[in-house]
Amino acid sequence: MGRSKWWQVLAAIMAFSLLAAACGDSGSSSDEGAGTGGEEASSTTVAVVQDGGSVLDTVINRGKLVCGVSGSAVAFSETQADGTITGFDADYCRAVAAAVLGDAEAVEFVALSASERFTAVQTGKVDVLIRNTTWTQSRDSDVGMDFGPTTYYDGQQLMARASDGFSSDSTIADIDGAVVCVNAGTTTEKNITEAAAAAGVTIDLKTFEESDPVYDGLIDGSCDIATTDGSGLVGRKVKQQPADEEWVIFPSTPISKEPLGPTYLQNDSKWADVINWTVYATIIFDEKGITSANADDMKANPPDGEIERLLGGEGELQTAMGLSADAFYNVVKQVGNYDEIYSRNLNPVGLFRDGSQNARASEGGLMYAPPAR
Amino acid sequence: MDEKREQLDWVAAAEVEGEKPPEVPPHGPVVWARENLFSSVGSGILTVAGLIVALGFFKGMLGYIFGADRKWDAVATNLRLYFTQAYPEDQYVRVWVAVGVAMALAGLSAAIWRANGRITGYKLGGGSFGLAGGLLTLLLLSPFSWRARLIYLLVALVFIGIGQYLRSVRPKLEVPALGVIVGTLAVLVGSLWVVPYGKHTFVDGQVQPPRPGTVAMTTKLPWTVMLLVMIVAYFVGKAVRDKVSPGLAKGLLSAGWMLLLPIDYFVILRDPALDYGQVFRVDVPIFLAFAVAGSAILWWLSSPHRGEIGRVVAGAMVIGAGVFWLAAAFGLSVRQIVRIDLVMLAVVALAAPTFAGEKAIRRKFIIGWVVILALVNYLAMMVNTPSTVDVPGSFPLGGFSLTLLVASATLMMSFPIGLILALGRTSKMPIFRLLSTTYIEVIRGVPLITILIFFKIILNLFLPDGMVLGNEMAAILGYSLFSAAYLAENVRGGLQSIRKGQYEAAAALGMSTPQTTSFIVLPQALRAVVPPLVSGVIATFKETSLLFIIGLFDFLRIGYVVVGGQTAFVGSQRENLLFVAFIYWIITFSISRSSVQLEKKLGLGER
Repeated sequence: MGRSKWWQVLAAIMAFSLLAAACGDSGSSSDEGAGTGGEEASSTTVAVVQDGGSVLDTVINRGKLVCGVSGSAVAFSETQADGTITGFDADYCRAVAAAVLGDAEAVEFVALSASERFTAVQTGKVDVLIRNTTWTQSRDSDVGMDFGPTTYYDGQQLMARASDGFSSDSTIADIDGAVVCVNAGTTTEKNITEAAAAAGVTIDLKTFEESDPVYDGLIDGSCDIATTDGSGLVGRKVKQQPADEEWVIFPSTPISKEPLGPTYLQNDSKWADVINWTVYATIIFDEKGITSANADDMKANPPDGEIERLLGGEGELQTAMGLSADAFYNVVKQVGNYDEIYSRNLNPVGLFRDGSQNARASEGGLMYAPPAR
Repeated sequence: MDEKREQLDWVAAAEVEGEKPPEVPPHGPVVWARENLFSSVGSGILTVAGLIVALGFFKGMLGYIFGADRKWDAVATNLRLYFTQAYPEDQYVRVWVAVGVAMALAGLSAAIWRANGRITGYKLGGGSFGLAGGLLTLLLLSPFSWRARLIYLLVALVFIGIGQYLRSVRPKLEVPALGVIVGTLAVLVGSLWVVPYGKHTFVDGQVQPPRPGTVAMTTKLPWTVMLLVMIVAYFVGKAVRDKVSPGLAKGLLSAGWMLLLPIDYFVILRDPALDYGQVFRVDVPIFLAFAVAGSAILWWLSSPHRGEIGRVVAGAMVIGAGVFWLAAAFGLSVRQIVRIDLVMLAVVALAAPTFAGEKAIRRKFIIGWVVILALVNYLAMMVNTPSTVDVPGSFPLGGFSLTLLVASATLMMSFPIGLILALGRTSKMPIFRLLSTTYIEVIRGVPLITILIFFKIILNLFLPDGMVLGNEMAAILGYSLFSAAYLAENVRGGLQSIRKGQYEAAAALGMSTPQTTSFIVLPQALRAVVPPLVSGVIATFKETSLLFIIGLFDFLRIGYVVVGGQTAFVGSQRENLLFVAFIYWIITFSISRSSVQLEKKLGLGER
């Protein structure tokens, strides 16, 4: 092999290196590494919070709120036939998006199962979790999350046939000897066992892996009582109660407390304030009678100072939070006040505010918001 | 039964060898029943008992399915959710384009591969009788109205008549199988225009008109177009098949099938938002640089009198590309596509001496390089461009389309991996044997769901900063690696069935090891393991339902929780699960039927 051939080899390798180097320079680090995986980085789970940065800034930069919901909870977050997600929880996602981004539709819903929801909050996969999640001490303190104000006060109740002598005034003491059907492995099971023991009655507990068989049992008589959260029972009663029967729900004070509300990453008070005050704003708007229909009139002629401030006339309260002055105007205009959100989603399944814990504070309920000033 | 099968086998054998089947003495159903069902007292009792059990089961099942209080509306209203989840309505035409591409490929393939199977009148008559029997069972056991039963009875009688005519008058009639398949599809699609599916018809005595949003309204036109696309593609293929070389046509079509999935998903369904400024500033220049400089290097390397130097240069390029790849991990800022292109160029350069020779061959080699480069760069560009499909979640597909995507991507990826693993495990080189064996045994020792959860939750922690693997892609990766291990064992079974004489004969002819493997061993080995391979395909397809466990919105999840979670359809879980099971069954049953055809074509079990 002559000298000249070695020069040729060298030249070929040089050309190859030059090619590599030239292309290397034209590259930028922005799409580094996104080539082989297949899934683009932009649309999935990138919401890593920088040190000191708030989720609020992330959301504003992204232009979209990533909201964790269930996607299969009747009236709270349902996936409709066309794929859209509707419901009480979904509407609160839209309310937050309206407040932060001015557009109630700028939401990317992430449907989460019960087991993965907390991981999703902790890892920043979702900005906020509004997935009928009960606020408890251990969840609040243990797992790296904070809870926002309760949007729905739920609680475990029992449902039985009126023909068996039950009425809405019945208590746990009346269910002695009854066959009680529940879903296996949930707190529901534990609650009813404890309540029965406390009332000194013996029950025959029948557990099912799925919820449909529980209510089939109530229909065909193999169960005397079905028990789960009141919101679930009402939905079943409306949809599945046979025409010739009447099902009653009791006791009027639920045997457990299940306050449901938004959940977010802990120690981010800027973001927490935004979520909390979005919820509070819907409650105040309900209290003051401002609806999506009259929001424009009220903004033009505010009846009092609080409404003027909330609707953005004197908007430094909102701008101090890092929102636009008309953030809450957008919420009520595009999504509605608490009563509108509640009635739209929960009335169709037979859940009404009157007389429940979700009624206005002025009417004996628990829906109460701090003043906006 | 046995006699019938024997007879059919005669027909099949006659097809193969072109001989006339021996005359079958005619006998009626009474003779058949006496010989097969009531041949002795014991078998008579068994027949009656089995019949009663089967009828009782079907009566219960049909009574449940057609019961008046079944909420089949839940399925009918949610069909779109079932098949494509939240794919937006204004972009829905993309779904049909994606299906249409597959249909066109199917039509072309049927023409190019000359699908010329024929079905005899005798067999068709049998099918017609079977259909009539199914209808009769349905109308006898289902809780239908009398009017509906009458209509079903009339249809069944028509089929019996057709069957009788074909069997007794034209048993030797031969119809192209393709025509029968297309005809059946045409009847099914045509029925969309007439029958208002989605509301089980005739139950309360009257036909329900289709309402907006029911199955027929949204599917009849698209499916008609799809069928026409397939037929037109077939005739186009028929027209051109004699004008092009069959090797080229088959090669192009095979490449088309390989590319179907990435093109359908990344280009058509994801609708990437291309930034043309970026494309012309970055992507096109990178491609041109590699096309021009790469071609020059390859042209130089494939020169016939290059000799050993060519191999040295190619080897150096492989090392260089590897170093470059690793350097990126240590912070060298470079586009991923550049690194991929460099590795590709180096690998192609290794093959250069094989193409050394005449200018025509070298030119083909260079053209091949540019085409592959263009494809890879185009797909990488599409993959990296964000999607514009506006869905509530992050992934554009869900439901059945996700199930299908995961299953087909898994099959496409696991086949080559499994093949390599099987060859590695039977190889004489200890390192490869050890690696393959370890891999197979480790993967087979871990439950699939564990692997899926690992890939979904843990894999992202190992990836470099900024690279994120979506849940769906992570699942596909997990499935592929898992099923590759099983596939490798199946293929190994085939490899072991090849006798030593085959290797020795190949060696005697002077074939190298790669040549022996690819031309002598693998074709025989794969042919021997078609049944377990098809079992693997079916298993993989059904295993996609585990996507539900790791929280993805696959077909099962939609039926299991999502539809039952709609206010209107509370308590409809059983109907939804039945529907899901039915669709799974249709798919797996068609796979298994087509594998029977494949086995017949390969002559399995006959030689």
